[in-house]
Amino acid sequence: MSSLKEFSKGFFKENPTYVQVLGMCPTLAVTTSALNGLGMGLATTAVLTMSNIVISAIRKAVPKNIRIPIFITVIASFVTIVDMLMHAFTYDLWKTLGLFIPLIVVNCLIMGRAEAFASRNSIGRSMLDGLGMGLGFTGSLVLLGSVRELLGSGTVFGLELWGKKFNIFLMILPPGAYMTLGLLAALFAYIGITRKKRGGSK
Amino acid sequence: MKGFFKTGLILMTYCAVAGLGLGLVYSITKDRITSAEFKNKTQAVEHVLKDENGSYLVPISEIENTVFNTKSTDEILYETDKGKVLSPVYVFEVSNQKIYVVTGSSIGFGGPVVTVASFVEDNKGISLHSIKVIEYSQETPGLGAKIADSSIQKRFYPLDSTVLENGVNVDKDVGSPDLPPDEAKKNGIVKVSDVMTGATITPRAVVNSINTMYEYLVKRMGGSEQ
Repeated sequence: MSSLKEFSKGFFKENPTYVQVLGMCPTLAVTTSALNGLGMGLATTAVLTMSNIVISAIRKAVPKNIRIPIFITVIASFVTIVDMLMHAFTYDLWKTLGLFIPLIVVNCLIMGRAEAFASRNSIGRSMLDGLGMGLGFTGSLVLLGSVRELLGSGTVFGLELWGKKFNIFLMILPPGAYMTLGLLAALFAYIGITRKKRGGSK
Repeated sequence: MKGFFKTGLILMTYCAVAGLGLGLVYSITKDRITSAEFKNKTQAVEHVLKDENGSYLVPISEIENTVFNTKSTDEILYETDKGKVLSPVYVFEVSNQKIYVVTGSSIGFGGPVVTVASFVEDNKGISLHSIKVIEYSQETPGLGAKIADSSIQKRFYPLDSTVLENGVNVDKDVGSPDLPPDEAKKNGIVKVSDVMTGATITPRAVVNSINTMYEYLVKRMGGSEQ
């Protein structure tokens, strides 16, 4: 696989949220607005890229039987670093995301990429994988957050589109998250199938 | 047996390196975090000391000094079954008025709702000047969390001392007489049912905190009885 594909597979083909269905907890919880989705996505991307680089770099020095605790240590360290940096520099966002930043530790997307990819591939490829998967995750969260924010509050990224004229509160509440997620996942699956069919008939 | 020590040692090395890195980042961000927390705290205090025209009751420099010099211990200063008063309480003295900035908390729909309020004490008694709800993260988005809207928070203030003496209520709890918001305030009623339909618990928590804070000021600070 070329390195470009390594990077771009996270956007659509192996999209972490809609195709792999990984990291659902923050996906459903923080996407009440597009900005929250973006913040959470970027925080996860930072952690994922750094942990992928480090895990790939130390992959030969890690005994197989204790690899999970070591990966967790690496991931938890980066999460704590991101948590402290966000606390210091983006206070409001840090406050909104709250508990979900420390919970990045148990986001199965990060552990999944560490175990399935970074521990078996070179540093460069792992970095691209982390960056691509992270940005794919960010894109999914922003998409989900935008849809929910627009239907729930009539704004996107705080910019008023139709304001309070047409609001469905349900969209900001948890059921709205499930419904939007389900419909978007269906859309991704549909596009994926159509693409495959077109590829096959050629 | 030897294998145990070896794996243990390896794990320890990784943890030590991680710990060292974290310590480094902590020492770099420590000052920034303190100043961000401080800024956040001052913002709330400054907000409640502003009047309608945007000018401050107390000079800004004095606000900052007082906030900086008052130790925050996060302890509970006063507690009733309705709510709590949290430390610190800031006291400002301007000409013949005493201004208190108090933090109160009460249970809302999903957890504590924390309100910062400013009370002005003069020869007529203690009156409520302004409030800012600073913690409402457990309230339902689109319903209770609408309390964040400053136009909704305006429905809670100002309230004069006779009203506070008798206790403040949410309109729904007193049979919601259909009064305009400013008329309702004179009767000790906070009218929110028109702007927060379907969410009574959150504004009730704010009202409870206001009542608790007033009680605290009267009892502990030797307020209006003096």
